[in-house]
Amino acid sequence: MTRNTFGSLSASLERLKSWEGLLLAILVVVVANNAIQSPVYLSVENQVNLFQLFIERIIVALAMTFIIINGEIDLSVASVMGLASCLLAFLHEQGTPMPAAIAVTLIVGVIVGVFNGFWISVVGLPSLAVTLAGLIGYRGVARILIEDRSIGNFPEWFNRLGQQPLLGPFPLASLIFLALLIIAVVILQYSAFGRYVYVIGNNREVARYSGVRVRRVKMILFVASSVVATLAGLLLAARLGAVRGSTAEGFELDIITMVLLGGVSIFGGSGTLVGVGLSILLVLNLRNGMSLVNITSNTQTGVIGVLLILSVLIPNWGQDAQSLWNRRRRVGPAQTTGEGVGHGS
Amino acid sequence: METIKRYLRPEQIRELSLVFLIVVTLIFFGTQIEGYYSGRTFNRITTTVAIIAVVAVGETLVILTRNYDLSVGSIVGFTAYFAGTQLANNNEMAPLAAILLAVGMGAIMGLINGVLVAYGRVPSIIVTLGTLAIFRALLVNYSGAKTVTTDSLPQWLLDLARANLFQVGEFDFRLMVGVALALVVIFQLVITYLPFGRRLYAIGSNPEAARTAGFPTQRIVMTAYVLCGMLSGLAGFMFLARFGNITVVAAQGMELSAIAAVVVGGVNVFGGSGTMIGALLGALMINTLEQSLIRWLQISEFWRDALLGLLILLAVATDAVIINRLRNLWARSGLQARPTSGAQAVEEAGHDA
Amino acid sequence: MTDSKKPVLEIRNIAKRFDTTQALDDVSLDMFPGEIHALLGENGAGKSTLIKIMTGVHQPDQGEIALDGRPIRIGNAVEAQAHGIAAIYQEPMIFPDLSVAENIFISHRDQGVVLRWGKMFRDAEAILAQLGVHLDVRQPARGLTLAAQQAVEIAKAISLKVRVLIMDEPTASLSVHEVTQLFKLAATLREQGVAILFISHRMEEVFEIADRITVLRDGKKISSTPRAGATAEGAIRDMVGRKVEDFFAKSQVRRGDLLLSARGLGKEGVFSDVSFDVYRGEVLGFAGLVGSRRTDVGLALFGVERADAGEITLDGRPVKLHSPDHALQVGIAYATEDRRALGLTMPMSITANISLPMLREYLSRLGLIKRAVEETAAESFRERLAIRAPSVRVEVARLSGGNQQKVMLSKWLNARPHLLILDEPTRGIDVSAKAEVHHMINDLAARGLGIILISSDLPEILAMSDRILVMREGRQMGIFTRAEATQEIILSAAMGQNSGARGSQ
Repeated sequence: MTRNTFGSLSASLERLKSWEGLLLAILVVVVANNAIQSPVYLSVENQVNLFQLFIERIIVALAMTFIIINGEIDLSVASVMGLASCLLAFLHEQGTPMPAAIAVTLIVGVIVGVFNGFWISVVGLPSLAVTLAGLIGYRGVARILIEDRSIGNFPEWFNRLGQQPLLGPFPLASLIFLALLIIAVVILQYSAFGRYVYVIGNNREVARYSGVRVRRVKMILFVASSVVATLAGLLLAARLGAVRGSTAEGFELDIITMVLLGGVSIFGGSGTLVGVGLSILLVLNLRNGMSLVNITSNTQTGVIGVLLILSVLIPNWGQDAQSLWNRRRRVGPAQTTGEGVGHGS
Repeated sequence: METIKRYLRPEQIRELSLVFLIVVTLIFFGTQIEGYYSGRTFNRITTTVAIIAVVAVGETLVILTRNYDLSVGSIVGFTAYFAGTQLANNNEMAPLAAILLAVGMGAIMGLINGVLVAYGRVPSIIVTLGTLAIFRALLVNYSGAKTVTTDSLPQWLLDLARANLFQVGEFDFRLMVGVALALVVIFQLVITYLPFGRRLYAIGSNPEAARTAGFPTQRIVMTAYVLCGMLSGLAGFMFLARFGNITVVAAQGMELSAIAAVVVGGVNVFGGSGTMIGALLGALMINTLEQSLIRWLQISEFWRDALLGLLILLAVATDAVIINRLRNLWARSGLQARPTSGAQAVEEAGHDA
Repeated sequence: MTDSKKPVLEIRNIAKRFDTTQALDDVSLDMFPGEIHALLGENGAGKSTLIKIMTGVHQPDQGEIALDGRPIRIGNAVEAQAHGIAAIYQEPMIFPDLSVAENIFISHRDQGVVLRWGKMFRDAEAILAQLGVHLDVRQPARGLTLAAQQAVEIAKAISLKVRVLIMDEPTASLSVHEVTQLFKLAATLREQGVAILFISHRMEEVFEIADRITVLRDGKKISSTPRAGATAEGAIRDMVGRKVEDFFAKSQVRRGDLLLSARGLGKEGVFSDVSFDVYRGEVLGFAGLVGSRRTDVGLALFGVERADAGEITLDGRPVKLHSPDHALQVGIAYATEDRRALGLTMPMSITANISLPMLREYLSRLGLIKRAVEETAAESFRERLAIRAPSVRVEVARLSGGNQQKVMLSKWLNARPHLLILDEPTRGIDVSAKAEVHHMINDLAARGLGIILISSDLPEILAMSDRILVMREGRQMGIFTRAEATQEIILSAAMGQNSGARGSQ
């Protein structure tokens, strides 16, 4: 399934495969359960709608996958989404023509990404701290722009793009997602840039000593993350039809959960988009299943929180079990390299 | 100069400059805003700081060990609501029992965080991002979307919020402010004088070495989380007393204010250095600036978050760039400027031989 | 001094097996108070395992450890400490944010309920004074030199009333002056009756300081001799199980054109005024003790740490080397000494590691990696360098040290450099892999590559180099041709004129 032909991480690949198997098994159970609960569940419309409800978060999860594999984190994405929505609404309210407003918002998205990337890759601050500040700060800017108002009244065509199917049953956002997914898979699994993302996540010094331009890669990733989040914010505004200061608040939880649940290591260096794809499907169907039995969205968020913790906790346990198993069976090679470390250099 | 360097570390310079900045801020706004030095300003700032400071003390314990706790806002909200409903249902409940209830609930939540981080080896940011959502979801379910209202609470609780420790002119020193100050002092003493406190620093400073030295690092980190939970629980009680009306979104986002206070106060985001006094100063700085700006520029409260984000970024950047440079300066002079540094002494001895 | 005393610690017939590897086999060792006992052995000889058993990290399969004649059990580092056994390592375990005094006392169990800072500072000052070290005990340990950090570790050991101190390659990263300082401390401890187990790879140090020399090989104790009865040649023979002369020697290659020329290369506070030429087909050895800054010159040539003075010309054209990326483009490759941290990405495949620096050569017109071509290239290296692995898709972490080294060399050969800088290419690999690497260096030079060989292994550098540049503490001491270079000449240059006599005894 994971045609990871450059065979990164074959040990963790085994684990990954079993992890993906596990996700798939749970997914089947959840979908089966939902289908029993509701006869129309498996219909194309319902599935498209399901996607549509979370499409912005899913799009951002693609970029987040790159960031986390690279060994960093971007906590600011949800606030950037909110900022994009609010900025667009604000510009619209001020009478800016819609296309210009969209262009300006995207440019601001680039600027935000460069700002994040500057502190992280040039100054060398930890991405956790920088994007935590961003999480608060960008939300703050969004609030300054529209305070406690709710701004809507977007042009008809804009709302239609966000809400109506554009091609077959698919609205614009799903099409953008599909396009981005293909681009992401190609870049991550088949391009040199994707290889660099993995190598830096594994060990950035090795990457540097191999001629990889580490700072540039990180800068590109953070700019991409912000631009994708901005785009998602625009789509969100179009879908909702009205924007508030709290739009997209807390979305980072869903986004990070989708990525980590997909088997991407929080410590960087491993994970695939196949896993993330599966975990996206799982999160969607789980949320939808919960809605079917009238579990509130707040409780659903709590369940997502549990999933987030489990997605790191379970692999940890798996690793413990594996190393225990290895110690019993054949410690040979591992032990001799251990010796090497003890003596070496 | 050398003597100054000996007794004044870069960390202390940082705290002193924060005090200086606060004073400058106060003087500046005093010239700009009419009636700025009033009992009202003082009261508003100190009571807000009191609750944040208690949470910040707990957050500092955790950050010292190179971890984070993003769930404190949810813990404050949950305990405030929890204690509120208990008191509303049973107005006869003893004050101490109510406080213990809040603190105990906080301890349980802190324990969950601590066990997952220390024993489950899940990165703290992931655990507490999860529990941030989980605890809030618990609150929503538990409340059934009802709110605690001031009328349902016993009178002593409402009086407590307005109880004065003492009064100087029009300046009221609230009991809650006193409690917060006492906690800051107590925990400052704990981290300065108790082996437990010193080990928090040791773990954050070099986790690998702490394990090698045989410290029970897991237990210590867990304890830090439990204490943070308890302090958040207490803050929840204070929150209840101050506001009376508690909804399901109570104290949402307070984790950000607490982390901002801690980081602006000079506690290193990588653990290993920082003080409670610093965290208190950080909280004071942020709130003073916030309250004053709102009155001065007539800007809305909506500036709050943007300001917080900027302050955190500035603090982290200052620490990374300036404080590190100062530290290197100190370290170098400590080794070279002293006439008989180790290397030279032995070297001379070696030449004599 | 050591006669007629009872051993403080006896290691009796210890054996330890890790699955297929017999790490220790019936090893016995007595440690006497006031004696410095040197432990020698190649990598993998079992030294680390022995230390780990003594400090409670591992438990022996057989045998026992006795303290004052009574068998004891050491379950972990804390118990070892309680028995008075402590270890200091090459990289000291300090807490950078805590003060020097606190670093000394933080492990103490009996600090009482409340810390008494005043007493702690005074006690720390007293202990450091006793050692003849002057440090500000209130200063945070951050920024202390390695030597000062080790002094703090030793002070910590003293404060714990340590009776047995294990020093695991403490000198590996120290400059000559700092080594002298450390030895003075060790001598002080010896006078106070501490038993010291001293581990080092440097023969001259061992013979300078040790009272008794024990050699391990393949987990067995080969010999244990008082210093008076020991010779360096004998010890080396015991360590490697073969004679020193057995070294493979580089064959003479006709020197080609001038490849790289450095003039007055310098970096503030690190090295200065380094000038040399490298010709095609030539191996230029970089000799010097650790701390001589040889590696820093190598890093400057590779653009990792830019030189801030001097000029470099490559094939007659001046170049400024400002990043590894750029160095690779002009044909300079650098194989690091630290495979694990800087050389290879352990969880990735052999293929991915080999192709990494040259990835842009494996791209299709669409910018995607041509996997088949990439693997073919890796496969050809697997055959050429006899890398023992089931397939090139295997992750590097699973290979032995020698095979990892070959993967790293493949990675840099694949970059088709004109100048290859090899930093300690045979450190930590076994004898046969070592020989293969030496053959390979010979091959490469024969094909017209210029090679800079940085090595601490003096026989290796003498055997493999056409000319040898000797450095000492950032200064170039001279360049010697193969004909004029001897072990004595190189060593006395590396140690400076005054201490040369000591080095060549």
